[in-house]
Amino acid sequence: MGTVRTIAIIGATEEGAAAIVRSLAKNNVRLLLIANDHQKASALKDRLENDGAKAELLVMECAREASWEADMIVIATPYDVYGEIAGRIRPVATGKVVISIPGRAASCPGTSAAEELQKLLPYSKIVKTFNTEVISPLTGGNQPELLIAGNSGDAVDAVADLVRSTGLRPVVVGDLTLSRELEAMPLKVLNLAIKRKSGWPGHH
Amino acid sequence: MHEKLTESIEKKITISPDEKELLKRFFIPKKIRKRQYLLNAGDVSLYITFVEKGLLRSFSADDEGHEHVVQFACEGWWISDMNSFLSGDPAIYNIEAIEDSELLMLSKSGMDELLDRMPKMERYFRLLMQNHIVALQRRIIASLSYSAEEKYMKLMDVSPDIISRVPQQHIASYLGITPETLSRIRRQVATRRQTS
Repeated sequence: MGTVRTIAIIGATEEGAAAIVRSLAKNNVRLLLIANDHQKASALKDRLENDGAKAELLVMECAREASWEADMIVIATPYDVYGEIAGRIRPVATGKVVISIPGRAASCPGTSAAEELQKLLPYSKIVKTFNTEVISPLTGGNQPELLIAGNSGDAVDAVADLVRSTGLRPVVVGDLTLSRELEAMPLKVLNLAIKRKSGWPGHH
Repeated sequence: MHEKLTESIEKKITISPDEKELLKRFFIPKKIRKRQYLLNAGDVSLYITFVEKGLLRSFSADDEGHEHVVQFACEGWWISDMNSFLSGDPAIYNIEAIEDSELLMLSKSGMDELLDRMPKMERYFRLLMQNHIVALQRRIIASLSYSAEEKYMKLMDVSPDIISRVPQQHIASYLGITPETLSRIRRQVATRRQTS
């Protein structure tokens, strides 16, 4: 039995977190679910357990405590609250991989939410992924792919392993500046999908 | 969050306030709950771990499932599967939290970078390693030549904290005796203390 990893998901009930939470819950990990609405998070936990989740699921109220326990942190909240969250978790996120999920934020033109998060958490390893998992119908592959961008090779490798564990194929696109493209990607995919009349590629 | 670590380092070398701040960047803070595993045998030990708060044990398990406790680590101590950490080979030890614990973990690359940025930490780690070797030699001698009671008395003398915080079956395993023998020794020691 391998060492069980602990993953904190801040904003676990956000729309953008649904796919990652569902996918990760199928694995032998500890998932710490953090959401402003505690009841909603508890309901999500119940739902996942009823669906046969293999992960150990815990609902936690405090993002700092959860991030302290975590080996990896996923931030699924809107970019607008990144500053507030980073302020809370900064001391306990040192050296840890932090995954940024949100799509493009209108409030950070010329950069990306992931790059801004790296500035807010300078001693963490920010990786951008998980909002771009729907491209395979456009690239002709059979296995859904997930694009990953990050500056730390170790962190990107760790996230690629995580992505593989969810049944998706990780595709590393480059450093964190590429997250600008990835954050805009869902919109591009939608536009391309419409052009190709392939419809919106769904989750598996 | 880094108080015990700073204390441990300052016992061996002098560091400035700036260096204290720099140090913090290299250590990954981690909380772990009682009975949670920090490392499973078979995985590679990617970190050496300093205990800020709490208590852990490292142990191996034989083919029949019997556990053999190798080390306890409470506040101010380090714990790891050193061979795995240095070589990248699979760990032979498991590391489990006996109490809810607060840890600071240092990776191999983090350690290399830390030593580049703060060469004086070489001295800290060298002294740490010396102490570790001495402790290991003492443990080997104790295990080869001490009686069960002598081993228990030695542990009580050196680490009374461990005796009071660790479940009896783990102490017995650490000493290489059965829990029943440990109970008998404890009774004998208690009786002797009452009569003396």
